[in-house]
This record gives sequence, structure tokens and C-alpha cells, in this order.
Amino acid sequence: MRSPSIIYLITRTHGRRTHLLTSESIKTISKSKSLSEMVDQLLRGDYAAEISKLPSEEVDSVRLEKIFLKTLVERFFTLTTDTRGNVKEFLEAFAARFEVENLKRVIRAKHAREKIEEQNLVPLSREHTLINFPALTKAGNIEEAVSLLRETDYASIDERLEAYRRSGHPIVLESFLDRIYFTRLWEKLEGMVEKESLKTLVGEEVDLRNLQLILTLKLRNLAPKLIEEMIIPVYYRLSKSNLRSLTQGGLEDFPEILAGTTYDRIAEEILRKSKAPAVNLETVISKRLYQDASFALKNLFLKSGYVIAYLLFCEKEARNLVTIATAIDLKIPEEELQRRLLL
Amino acid sequence: MSAAGRAGVSRGILLRLREQLEFTKKGQELLKMKRDHLASETNKLLSKVAERNKLDSRLMQAYESLKAAYLNLGYSGLASQATIVDKMEVKVRPWSIMGVIVPEVLVEKEANINSISSPSAHQAASELNALMKDLIQLAEAESRIESIAYELMMTNRKVNALERVLIPGLYELIRYVEGRLEEESLEEFFRAKRVKQVIRRSKQ
Repeated sequence: MRSPSIIYLITRTHGRRTHLLTSESIKTISKSKSLSEMVDQLLRGDYAAEISKLPSEEVDSVRLEKIFLKTLVERFFTLTTDTRGNVKEFLEAFAARFEVENLKRVIRAKHAREKIEEQNLVPLSREHTLINFPALTKAGNIEEAVSLLRETDYASIDERLEAYRRSGHPIVLESFLDRIYFTRLWEKLEGMVEKESLKTLVGEEVDLRNLQLILTLKLRNLAPKLIEEMIIPVYYRLSKSNLRSLTQGGLEDFPEILAGTTYDRIAEEILRKSKAPAVNLETVISKRLYQDASFALKNLFLKSGYVIAYLLFCEKEARNLVTIATAIDLKIPEEELQRRLLL
Repeated sequence: MSAAGRAGVSRGILLRLREQLEFTKKGQELLKMKRDHLASETNKLLSKVAERNKLDSRLMQAYESLKAAYLNLGYSGLASQATIVDKMEVKVRPWSIMGVIVPEVLVEKEANINSISSPSAHQAASELNALMKDLIQLAEAESRIESIAYELMMTNRKVNALERVLIPGLYELIRYVEGRLEEESLEEFFRAKRVKQVIRRSKQ
């Protein structure tokens, strides 16, 4: 039987969903001729508080991106405050994606021995993370940064340091962070009451991440063994053998291997319609993920999956707004922008 | 005032003038050789510069990929992906072509973009990276042409000055000196004859 806390969470999420920008609003915003016009349209929603603090002469796409990401993080963590027990743990594990993204950014900077400051990270306040990012940003190299993660959920990244040193690719560590994130999320999901609706979304995200990783590394002709090592060991609709065939086969075999799965069109869309598949890879994968979230929002409105679908929609909204602000800044034609939006 | 008007006249001067003419002609030949070499060097470089249009369109395409990466990742995401690129290292050293100092750009280390994890950022980086070498070569060719063209213009002026002013002037001077020397020898001959006549008459 459903606990009242879950019913309360779903009800609150329904209320919060009304704060999200509709596709029509996003389309209207995307037609803005300037950033100030865009800002004017955002002054009525959740972004108003942060945007109104920004003097009009200081409006630029970098600052706006920061505001969109900050609002996104707040939306994620506001939801966790409404919950307790397993649900809270699960939502916190889900929200750890910001932590992971920041860790990846730190690792990239440390690999290149470049300076990184907190302002280069996704704005994640101290109360939402156990990781000491100020210390991490000051670490001298990757080894030192990894040693600072010893007491956290990411301690096992230590195991991959040798593989990183051998290959010289920080993507080895980045993919391992994804592995930690999704494995932990999957474990937390097992403790949930209504796991099926949650599994649909989380499982598909893992599948899509694996697909993106394999495609990305295949396009760079990396050794199948190395690719296999980087795969997230959570198998939802793509079985282990599916993933192995993908890593060992050529790019041209992708549509055949994926035939019969729900992802058969993705390979086709990425590989057959574009001269440079890498350019559209992320957009196609993200569109698919958010389509699933959209389906869940319409069909799982009384289930826990609705909460995750809402969070994915928050993410989609932030990504769309970042895309619009960047496009306005770079003076990208409207039709090109419309193609890139995740609607 | 012509050169002839200022010249002293003696056999020594004539010899020196002939030597000077010979030297100037050799100098002119050398300058002509330098001019031809510089012109052929420029022709070679022009073929590289002619590829600029192709390079421009490739650059525009790379820029489109970069814009796509910006749209996918946003500024902070792409900036983070960019930090990972192991930067390209180039060395510029001076190089002499017939005495003209031109830059020579050596790529000491190519940018390593293999660590970029985002596919769209990697695509943009690989397109830009492939262009970098060609862009450097184009910049090298353009700056070489600039230096060579200036030197070519100066050499041409020198050749023209030698051909139209200095060498004809020397010829004129030599002709004048030769004329004067001939006159002087005739005068000397006549004077000697007169002296002989005077001596003969005084003996008689």
C-alpha cells in the first residue's frame, strides 16, 4: 500500500509542475530577438527572483546560464525536503547528478593542470553535497583530488586511477563516476515501493547513456575492451550481450543490433541522417530521454515515476533555456535553434 | 651637372671606372637573379594563399560545429570540455630567403583532443584542430609574401636604378674619360712634334 508521504510528494509535484514553462512558452521565448527580451519573458516565473537581481547591463548568456542551473538545482532539492526515508535517499541519489557533473569538471581541469574555480561549476550549495568542492578545486592533480574523495560515495574511483594513467584519458574516470552514480541510484530504486514506474525512466536513461558512450567512443575508434570496461553495469532494455555486440561491432552494425529494441530508431537517426554523427548525438539521445519523461508525465500521473519525470522536465527546461540564451548570444538562426530545442 | 663634368681624367681613373662598371654589371646580374628567385618564391606561396577560400568555407563549417557544441553544452559545459585539450605548441623562427628574413612556423606539439568526452565538443575540436595546421601555414605564407613583396619592390628599384641611371652614367663617364685621354695624347704628340721642330731649327 502506498504511504501517505508518497501521495503527498506526488501531489506536491503536480503543483510544482504548473511552474514549469510549457512548450509554447519555450517556443515564444526562443523567438526573442535579444537577451533582454528573453529576460522580460522570464520575469513572471520561478526565475524572476534571481533574474531581477541581475542589473540589465550585466545580462549575458553566461550569467543567465548560471541562474538557470541554480534554479534547476533548487527545484531538485526542494523536492527532497518534502520527503523522508527511502524516498528521500532515492531523490538525493538522483540529484547527485550535479555533484557528478561538478566532479567531472574538476577532473578535466586537474587532468589538464588548469585552474578551476567554484564559479566554473554547477552552482551547488554546501548543504546539498558532502563533497568539499573548494578543497577539490585547489588540489594539485588528479591523484590529490581523488584522495579527497576517500570518505565519500565516490571513494571507489581510486580503483580506476591505474586505468586512467595507462590510457591518459580522463573519460575513464568520468565514465566511472557515471557508473557509481547509476549503480547507487539503481540500488536505492530497489528499496522503493513503486519501482516499476521509476525503473522505466532511470533504466532508459542508463541505456541511453551507455548507447551514447559506446557511440562516442566507437566514433573515435577506441578498443572494444576499453569501451566495455566503461559501460554502466545496469542493464534495462539493453542486455549485456546487446552492449557487448555494440562495443565489438562496427558503427554500421548498430541499427541491426538495436533492431527489436526500443532504441532502433536512435541509431538510424544518428548514423544515417547526418554527415557528422557526433554533432547530433547528444541532441538525439536527450530528445529521446525527455520524450520518455513526457510520456511518463502524461501516463504515470499517480505514480512515483511522475516525480522523476518532473525532475527530468526541469532539467529539459534548464537545458532549453541555456540553449536559447546561447543561441541569442551567438546569433543563431531561428530555424536552427528550433531544431536544437528539446521540445 | 653630369658625372662627366666632375670627373678628373687619367689612365688610372679610366681603369677604376672600367672596374666599377664591371662590378656594377655583376651587381645588377645578382640583383636580377635575386628578383627572379623572389618572384618564383612568391609564385610558390601564391598557390598556398589561393587555398584561402577553401579554408574559409572549412572554417565556417567548423564554426557551425562549434556553435552546435555551445548549444548542446552551454558556455560552462563547453568551457569545461575545452580545459581538457592538451594545447598545441608552435615555435616561430626567422628564416632567410635571399637575405629576406621571413617567419618559419614549426608545430612542435599538436593539440590532443582525444580526452574530450562530449561528442559534439569533440567533433568541433577535431574540425578546428584539423584546420589549425592549414591556418598556420596560410598565415606563414601570407607574412612571407608580405616581406618578400617589399623586398621585391626594393630590388626592382635597385635593378632599375642600375640599369637606367648608374650603368649608363658610367658608360658616359668612361667615354668622356677616353675622349679626354685621346685628346691629351694627340696634344702630347703634337707638342712633341713642335718641340722636335724647334730643336731642329735651332741646330740649323
